[in-house]
Amino acid sequence: MDEEPERAKRWEGGYERTWEVLKEDESGSLKATVEDILFQAKRKRVFESHGQVRLGMMRHLYVVIDSSRTMEDQDLKPNRLTSTLKLMEFFVEEYFDQNPIIGNVLLFEINTFFYICFDAGNPKKHVAALKKAVGSTCLGEPSLYNALNIAMQTLKHMPGHTSREILIIFSSLTTCDPANIYELIKTLKELKIRVSVIGLSAEVRVCTILTRETGGSYNVILDESHFKELLMLHVKPPPASSSSECSLIRMGFPQHIIASVSDQDAKPSFSMSHLESVDEGPGLTLGGYYCPQCRAKYTELPVECKVCGLTLVSAPHLARSFHHLFPLDAFQESPLEEHTGDRFCQACQGELKDKSVFTCPACSSVFCTECDLFIHDTLHCCPACIHTQGAS
Amino acid sequence: MKLNIEGLLVYFPYDYIYPEQYSYMLELKRTLDAKGHGVLEMPSGTGKTISLLSLIVAYQKAYPLEVTKLIYCSRTVPEIEKVVEELRKLMEFYTKETGEKNNFLALALSSRKNLCIHPEILHANIVVYSYHYLLDPKIADLVSKELAKKSVVVFDEAHNIDNVCIDSMSVNITRRTLDRCQTNVDTLQNTIQRIKETDAAKLREEYRRLVEGLKEANVARETDIYLSNPVLPDEVLQEAIPGSIRTAEHFVGFLKRFLEYLKARLRIHHVVQESSPQFLKDIYEKVCIDRKPLRFCAERLRSLLRTLEIADIADFSPITLISHFATLVSTYSKGFTIIIEPFEDKTPTIANPVLHFSCMDPSIAIKPVFERFQSVVITSGTLSPLDIYPRILDFRPVTMASFTMTLARTCLCPLIVGRGNDQVAMSSKFETREDFAVIRNYGNLLLEMSAIVPDGIVAFFTSYVYMENIVASWYEQGILENIQRNKLIFIETPDAAETSMALEKYQEACENGRGAILLSVARGKVSEGIDFVHHFGRAVIMFGVPYVYTQSRILKARLEYLRDQFQIRENDFLTFDAMRHAAQCVGRAIRGKTDYGLMIFADKRYARADKRGKLPRWIQEHISDGSLNLTIDETVQLSKHFLRQMAQPFRREDQLGLSLLTLEQLQSEEMLEKISQIAQQA
Repeated sequence: MDEEPERAKRWEGGYERTWEVLKEDESGSLKATVEDILFQAKRKRVFESHGQVRLGMMRHLYVVIDSSRTMEDQDLKPNRLTSTLKLMEFFVEEYFDQNPIIGNVLLFEINTFFYICFDAGNPKKHVAALKKAVGSTCLGEPSLYNALNIAMQTLKHMPGHTSREILIIFSSLTTCDPANIYELIKTLKELKIRVSVIGLSAEVRVCTILTRETGGSYNVILDESHFKELLMLHVKPPPASSSSECSLIRMGFPQHIIASVSDQDAKPSFSMSHLESVDEGPGLTLGGYYCPQCRAKYTELPVECKVCGLTLVSAPHLARSFHHLFPLDAFQESPLEEHTGDRFCQACQGELKDKSVFTCPACSSVFCTECDLFIHDTLHCCPACIHTQGAS
Repeated sequence: MKLNIEGLLVYFPYDYIYPEQYSYMLELKRTLDAKGHGVLEMPSGTGKTISLLSLIVAYQKAYPLEVTKLIYCSRTVPEIEKVVEELRKLMEFYTKETGEKNNFLALALSSRKNLCIHPEILHANIVVYSYHYLLDPKIADLVSKELAKKSVVVFDEAHNIDNVCIDSMSVNITRRTLDRCQTNVDTLQNTIQRIKETDAAKLREEYRRLVEGLKEANVARETDIYLSNPVLPDEVLQEAIPGSIRTAEHFVGFLKRFLEYLKARLRIHHVVQESSPQFLKDIYEKVCIDRKPLRFCAERLRSLLRTLEIADIADFSPITLISHFATLVSTYSKGFTIIIEPFEDKTPTIANPVLHFSCMDPSIAIKPVFERFQSVVITSGTLSPLDIYPRILDFRPVTMASFTMTLARTCLCPLIVGRGNDQVAMSSKFETREDFAVIRNYGNLLLEMSAIVPDGIVAFFTSYVYMENIVASWYEQGILENIQRNKLIFIETPDAAETSMALEKYQEACENGRGAILLSVARGKVSEGIDFVHHFGRAVIMFGVPYVYTQSRILKARLEYLRDQFQIRENDFLTFDAMRHAAQCVGRAIRGKTDYGLMIFADKRYARADKRGKLPRWIQEHISDGSLNLTIDETVQLSKHFLRQMAQPFRREDQLGLSLLTLEQLQSEEMLEKISQIAQQA
């Protein structure tokens, strides 16, 4: 696969038996079975969530990253911590891209309780904080209990109509807890906090129970690319539990007002979101988004108004969240031999070479495997359909 | 589901079936058809119990005249409970499917408080109890002698059956036993005196009965009502009790003489080993006790106790023990040895004389069972190599088969670690076991594994002494401290209460995520009776090859006997014994198809064909040539990979069609073809 991260140098890699991965199929030719299996799983995942389900679109996600000494392990390159943080950067961007309606991402380390970031709806800060954490040393044993407890203290004050989620990146195989964790799991369940865990080494019993009880997912990574896939699973909003509250939310749609320098009436002003951050951020600007209720100015959306508490979004944000509710239908898979029409993929115009081709049920255009994944993962709409709509 | 096993309709209370269960039932049916004995090995956790029960119950229903009763012998009370639970499910299924009222009666004997003496229990169709009820002559006589000939006997978890047989026939006499016997004899004497004054007629009646001999019992045996008892040899039945011990007083006097003789024998300062005839000659010379009255001793004592109407038999267990000894020593000239040791091996300075009357031939105890019942099935998860059991138990089976586990994913990972990272060979063999490098490498192995295996690890050592030495030296080297950063450490001790406490805490630590290591001993309590399902045992490490302590005189005598009588070489038997214990230990971790676990054999000797070949087939087939002589580093890499693979989601659908079948799948031609390959005839 093209997007696979660059492999480590041979001599840095672990003891591998690459020949065992290869298996002869019936005709006697070799194929990489494991990759095949993974690929199948990927496809399956894309289509798994189809169907009309209610999704918790407003998310509060608390990400906890283990920073105990096992994070220094070098089975991910260069080590688990660096690799994780790099993937997290990617995750944060993707998360805000796919969940533009206000959400919370909080990050902190398990055993040192050092907050990397605490802010709403601004990916840049998270990314900056993640960058800063690279290279910090990892020591000691983690405590799941303490981590969950702190996350819980924050999440339990979040409104009932939003989802409350905790995602734990758990590298260690042990947890040194000050109290009985099963009590805490019970509390989490009562508070409807969904805890998911991504394990970096192996399946730990307590995590299995934790995720099963709270309705989260539990996965263990195989390698770095698998790790990335597992993280991406958490980008998509989870189905809302039927018991969660429904409520209407007031939202403001501020317009971006661009004041030209030549305009005499325009006065430079501070953005409200930058008032509190002392270290960096742009100073005075002319234009921006003005809250329709209280006229407070913001340079970026989405945001919750600091003055009147109104949620400020733009229309494209809402539209982007929309695709989670009405996902693109799965394309029909058929073997290449049976396909009679064009020999070229509608999207990339490349020749169809894979075993199977994919046909859009609406416009009957054909696509290659890679494009099929790209359309369902990223675009969320069929390019050919849009094309025909535009023409007519 | 309803199965058709070669024309027999079998009700199976589950919707899905493992292919090996089907195969197992086929073999079992063939055994019953042939009215012969069978040896069947099937991995634990593949539903052996329910397969056995479904098939035999179905057989009983179909041919009520051929098989009248199922006698199911298991080892421990929890296992018996498990059998009863499965049986209940089966019976419910029968009622649901056929709509008839259940007319089957099953009986489980677990302890005295659950014992029922209603006469109807004699007609029970299924009896579930412990081995001892059938093998131990003392209990068998009370419980099992009236079981019908057309019964099927099943010994489950029977990999240790030879030792059970030997133990049930062996007698150990210490000074304490003799002292308590003395009290018993005094009580007897007093009681006789009292009865003589009050009710002399009773004693006369007994005397008259004894003169007539044990004709009754003899008739019963000839008419095939009773199971024969090895403590009650045929000669005893055919003759009358000799005059010298016929009256109660004479018999008590006789016992006294015998006791005094034994006491004198225990007053020694060096080890004595002799055969039964030598012992009899000596006793005749010293105290003029003949062979014949000795032989009647057990029966005579029982008669006396009955006449005296002594309620609490338990108080008289020492004297009963002595009487059994007397009967056995005078009956069997072969297969037994007498060893008198003035002190224990561990404490050579403290005098603690013991007389071991040791049985060396397991076939003596089990012979009546094989002779009486039409089908006896010996089954367990680890019976390899299969052919050795018929040899040491002296019977001829009609079926011998070993079944593999069909798996949708390879859920067991046996690895043989032969070297440390410094390339020093790891082995527990006598010459190198004190070697500093070996101990350090063992420590490193455990340390590395503790860092990558989640939840519970169980480590087995070859003996308590060895474990103590190693753990002490790990402590000095600081290895223990490092391990404790990853997991807590618990240790099995010879004390049962301490061990069960350690076990409980171990399980708690596994449950709440702290992780734990249990250090235990092969042949100990943990290695035999306790299962480590799922997270309680993600890895088992076997440090060394668990050979039995070869310096023991009893063992030496037994080995010699095996060589002379059964042509089994000492080394073959020792290796067989060591490997069955190793297999038992590592088998603790895999208790089903959804379970997974690492099996680490940390000794380079396991790589040799003679060792490896004695492991059960279902473990052996997963040992690839590449995992024979690994270093610690390689082991860690392979384990990491294995654990990550196993942590991927695994659902029932993945198993369906491969290792789990519906009725339709089972009936397909292709599958039947595959199933026929599961069983390997030995």
